[in-house]
Amino acid sequence: MNSVPSGQLALRLAAFAFAIVFFQIGVVSEVPVFGVNADLTSLLVAFIGLLCGSTIGAGAGFAVGLIVDLALLQTLGLTSLVFTLIGYWCGRLRDRSQIGQHDPHAALTPLLVGAGASAVALVGYSLMEFMLGVDAPVSFELLRVIVLGVLVNAIVALPMWALTRRVLEGALPEDPRRRRRRAYTTGGLSPLTKA
Amino acid sequence: MHDKTVRRRRALLGLLVVLSLLLLTAYFGEAPNGRLHAVQRDFLTVVSPIQDGANKALKPVRDLFGWFGEALHAKSQRDELLKQDNKLRRELVADQSEKRSYHQLLGLSHLDQLGVGNYRPVTATVVVKDPNIWYATVTIDKGESAGVRINDPVINGEGLVGKVAQVAPDGALVDLITDSSMGVSARIGTGTATGLVQPKVGDPNDLLLEYLPATTQANAGEYVVTSGTVTPAYPSLFPPGLVIGQVTSVNEESAYKSVNVHPIANLHDLDIVQVLTAAAGSASAKDSRLLAELPPGQSGPPAGEQLASAQVGG
Repeated sequence: MNSVPSGQLALRLAAFAFAIVFFQIGVVSEVPVFGVNADLTSLLVAFIGLLCGSTIGAGAGFAVGLIVDLALLQTLGLTSLVFTLIGYWCGRLRDRSQIGQHDPHAALTPLLVGAGASAVALVGYSLMEFMLGVDAPVSFELLRVIVLGVLVNAIVALPMWALTRRVLEGALPEDPRRRRRRAYTTGGLSPLTKA
Repeated sequence: MHDKTVRRRRALLGLLVVLSLLLLTAYFGEAPNGRLHAVQRDFLTVVSPIQDGANKALKPVRDLFGWFGEALHAKSQRDELLKQDNKLRRELVADQSEKRSYHQLLGLSHLDQLGVGNYRPVTATVVVKDPNIWYATVTIDKGESAGVRINDPVINGEGLVGKVAQVAPDGALVDLITDSSMGVSARIGTGTATGLVQPKVGDPNDLLLEYLPATTQANAGEYVVTSGTVTPAYPSLFPPGLVIGQVTSVNEESAYKSVNVHPIANLHDLDIVQVLTAAAGSASAKDSRLLAELPPGQSGPPAGEQLASAQVGG
């Protein structure tokens, strides 16, 4: 596993992250769906982790969180902390898939990972805010926002996954499809040859 | 090799988490003009033109999404407003209905004070109105069981409405005064000359008071009231003094005078009426007998009046 992103990947990641953050701030944050806003940044971090692994996922999470905190004048480090954990967790899923436990490219995986990442982001962010003493009551409204937020992000997860894969395709450290293609062409690991 | 990778990965995670916590602590602890806040402001200064440009560039996209959202919101708002509108309309209709019933009952109460109570009035509700705009009958919810009989006069708070035409145990059909079969002996105001009120041909909403002596004084706006019994031999079905309508115009015709009368009761808006079950001469059998005894082809004002008296007691 390559834990250091190549120059091309780093460039794409940075450009894509900036674009998504600005799109989030400029458009998505101003278009409520069912009374809540989708959060593309948490999905972005989750899918980077899922595609690039835990190390790059954690690093991207930290960086995206920092950009979000800087751009929105939020408490520095708050989003970074939550996104770092999300990127790492999703990267671990991908890392484990390499040893045959899960397949991150299964149809439902992005949906479930997106929903899970959103839930972790929303709950984690709320917990952090409470720990920092933000005077907000734990109410049914908060629960509603979290549940609806997870649902809306789950809906957005699939197109966001497709977009992330499209942008990063070709620069991924170890693209499983490319690895499989390479293995088949060299004649080593094809299941057909085994048979 | 694997352990080394794991250690490196965990170390990086730990480093980033610690860095985040340090940032968090430092930011949270420092004053608003501190170094981290300044970095944040500087970052905003740098990216704000980009943000601004992106904002403008993405405005159509935002508007498009916003339009969908607002359309959905407007739809739900419209549904909510329609519900409120329906509710308010129902309340308004109920209020208006109650108000109308109240006024009608109040009018009937005033009539009672004028002596109508002596005729054993039975209060009834109009349950069916002929849907035809030319309708001249209504059905009420009181019938034989309440003492209602054929030819009983029917009034409301405004004045004379009609008479009972058919009776069932718990309902009755009422011919309105604008029905072609009606004829009521009437006089103008306090005058003594009597005539016959009948529906005006060609205008089912107006009446004509005919066969008045040519010397009768009639002015527009005067009230036309029932004359009651004129000849004891032919008692009237209708008690005297019930308002029928107002004179609208006077017609000079040969030896007799006739006047146009507009019914005082709003016959298209009847809800509550009273049937005078003890009206004089409501013994219809007697009237039928008298009617049968009349010679055929009898005409002229006195005979017409007698015929009307015999037929409807007017």
